[in-house]
Amino acid sequence: MWATNLKIVGVVLGTLALYTLIANKIPQVQSEVPRSLTLGANVTPEQLAAAGDEVYRGIGGCTTCHGLGTRAPNLLTDEKGQGPIGARCGRREPGKSCKAYLHEALAQPGAFVVPGYEPIMPDMTRTLSPQQIWAVIAFLESQGGTVDVAASDIPSDSQLSPGASPGNQGGRGIAGGSTDPMTLFRGAGCVGCHKIDAEGGVVGPDLSHIGARLTAAGVREAILFPDATITKGFERFAGVMPKTFGDQMTASQMEALVRFLAARK
Amino acid sequence: MTDALPLLQAAADSLPAYRDFPLIGSRAAVWIAAEIHLMFAAFVLGVPMFAVVTELIGIVGKEQRYDRLSKEFTRLLLVAYSATAIWGVVLTFGLATLYPRFFAYLLAIFGPSTWVYAGLFFFESFTLYLYYYGWDRWKHGRAKWGHWTLGVLLNVWGTIVMFIANSWLTYMMSPPRDIGPETAPASIKLWHAILNHTWMPINVHRLIANVVFGGAIVGAYASYRFLAARTDEERAHYDWMGYVGNFIAISALIVLPFAGYWLGREIYQYDQSMGITMMGGFMSWLWVIQAFLIAVLFLAGNYYLWVGMGRIPGAERFRPYTKWLLVVLVLGAIVWGTPHTMIADSRELTAMGGSHHPFLGALGVMSAKNTAVNLMILTTFLSFLMYRRANIRPVVTWARTGTRIQGAMFALAAAIVLFYGIRGYFVDAIVRIGYSVYQVGAVLACIVFVTAIDVMMARGAQSLGAIQWGKMPARSQYALFILAVTFTWLMGLMGFARSGIRQHWHVWQVMQDTSQYAATPALGYAAIMISVCVLIFLSLVAFIFWLGGLAEKSTFVPEQEKEAQRVGH
Repeated sequence: MWATNLKIVGVVLGTLALYTLIANKIPQVQSEVPRSLTLGANVTPEQLAAAGDEVYRGIGGCTTCHGLGTRAPNLLTDEKGQGPIGARCGRREPGKSCKAYLHEALAQPGAFVVPGYEPIMPDMTRTLSPQQIWAVIAFLESQGGTVDVAASDIPSDSQLSPGASPGNQGGRGIAGGSTDPMTLFRGAGCVGCHKIDAEGGVVGPDLSHIGARLTAAGVREAILFPDATITKGFERFAGVMPKTFGDQMTASQMEALVRFLAARK
Repeated sequence: MTDALPLLQAAADSLPAYRDFPLIGSRAAVWIAAEIHLMFAAFVLGVPMFAVVTELIGIVGKEQRYDRLSKEFTRLLLVAYSATAIWGVVLTFGLATLYPRFFAYLLAIFGPSTWVYAGLFFFESFTLYLYYYGWDRWKHGRAKWGHWTLGVLLNVWGTIVMFIANSWLTYMMSPPRDIGPETAPASIKLWHAILNHTWMPINVHRLIANVVFGGAIVGAYASYRFLAARTDEERAHYDWMGYVGNFIAISALIVLPFAGYWLGREIYQYDQSMGITMMGGFMSWLWVIQAFLIAVLFLAGNYYLWVGMGRIPGAERFRPYTKWLLVVLVLGAIVWGTPHTMIADSRELTAMGGSHHPFLGALGVMSAKNTAVNLMILTTFLSFLMYRRANIRPVVTWARTGTRIQGAMFALAAAIVLFYGIRGYFVDAIVRIGYSVYQVGAVLACIVFVTAIDVMMARGAQSLGAIQWGKMPARSQYALFILAVTFTWLMGLMGFARSGIRQHWHVWQVMQDTSQYAATPALGYAAIMISVCVLIFLSLVAFIFWLGGLAEKSTFVPEQEKEAQRVGH
């Protein structure tokens, strides 16, 4: 019986060892905790690109869509014979430098959507700090192009008012503090996903007659807690709308936008 | 309770967020406690389900051997039950001392449910004791049905207990969307937290997985007893028990991917980025390992059946086909294990010439993988069918037609699977996802209708000889051990996937893990942890089964002994 017992132990240990070995032989990827980014005045392009690489693969969540070949254009590899993003970014929009184009793509992704893709990208300035945004731009430029992001492009911490969150310009709200609803609608980037009359994207529900479906309280909730209720037919875009508008808009801006939308019966 | 919650919150705020555990660290300590508790819990929840079914077969079919088998299943349960409770307590103390603030947060929301949980645990324990110790007392007539009802009740309590525990962990994964970091836990309604997005998919998935797991462990137990058997009769009994355990495990395994698919879909619907992290992000390689493990399960399960056909008179006529079944299984496993959307760095992407491999990328997509796994399921079902038909020759007048219809159903199901698999390459993703439903539907329909025809055809069939239980080569029993180890390891791996997609969050996007162990480890480290847990679990299982054997003899009673008992009477 001892021989049988030893054989059983051998089979069990052998099987465990095989699985453990295989799992240790494949590429090892650990999911790191995102770190805040601090860049000095003497930061080099290489340091910027390296920091951007980390943000791109980590907290930025860029790999969620870019690189899969289906949801968004490939950035690190060739896209339709035009090379990686650093090689093609300067030719994307006439008269716009690579740096300016990439900044626009991150801050106002709805402004120019690459043909063949849906405008699903959120405004990254709401989740990333200006330092992180510029680091990502430097990293993307380094993919087949030249990094021309300089320390002078990056606002220092002192240029941001205390307590300012990414995308929040120090308590003035967004769109320069305007309370004009359509200016807010465009300035907050709503237009990238939602349509009002003929203007806007189709990722989120059409808001042309939103007042017929929601009360003012419902509209306010939808802006503050966008995932609390998902409109039927848009389930696959759940989680895309930022949850930060409550922090970014002033109270008067929020109320102006809510009243405007609730009145659109 | 409402008065107690602010106090609980105040106490939580004054607690340190984390404490460390000597040598292995707090994460590893809680990981081991949770994993082993879960393994024992899965066993004690899975076994009653098929114990009740086998007891019912025994009552309805008036076959004593099923009743004995059911009692033996329950005896295993009895000794494993206390181990489940012990590890549950270790886990609770581990969480309370190592992650005090997080534990207090969960208690502030789920406090009342823990009392219900503890209460039901009492009910479950006493029902189990009544069920087991009353076996011989309530053996006949109405009393037997009453006894069987106790078994059903045992399942009801166990299922509710599991559902409650599932609500805690699914809340961590998919808290309702209106709950944020600023939401005071005491203000969260209990039912609102329980009814979260992934609660029911996890409930269903675990219910089925527990049956798979229980069947596999019972199979390993029986195979050990088979190898240790001293008489042919004992060997025959444990050979049969091992076969039943394997049958239960593989049958439930066939349904499990559909429940897993539902769970995956719900995760995507809850938060697409979480779904993508799981399937295409840092966890993408995990699915290649999972494919390998499933391939081992399919191959070992089929191998056991093929070897088992050696003890069935008449099975020789099916033997030439087994090599072709093996070819389909191996090809299916290769396709299923082909990587597709893997996380890769710039150099790897450049070397590959794109985000996907130019040739293998086409095999790694879901169209190919769904086709492969459905054909593997069909192949396994065919193995079962051959095993079932091995020692009988149908005598019904329509036997030949029936067999042809069965063959046509197999061909049709395979054709539907292949058709939608190929067509999936030419349509949009949203359409392609729907195709998997047609593929699964075709396979399930084939299984149901072919089985129905087979049962009707077997009526009054001519026997080619009885199955020679016990005449099984020892190597087949090692296949059952491999199945048990693989199922247990797979459970650990999938647990890591489910828990790991939260990444550095205790509660997804609500409560961040700020401990030194917040980073989610890579698969290599996870594999070591899983192997350690499996080893501890299997060692404990072996020990408590041995202990159980010391206290009480097997319910199997050899013929000579029975004869002696009769004479004694």
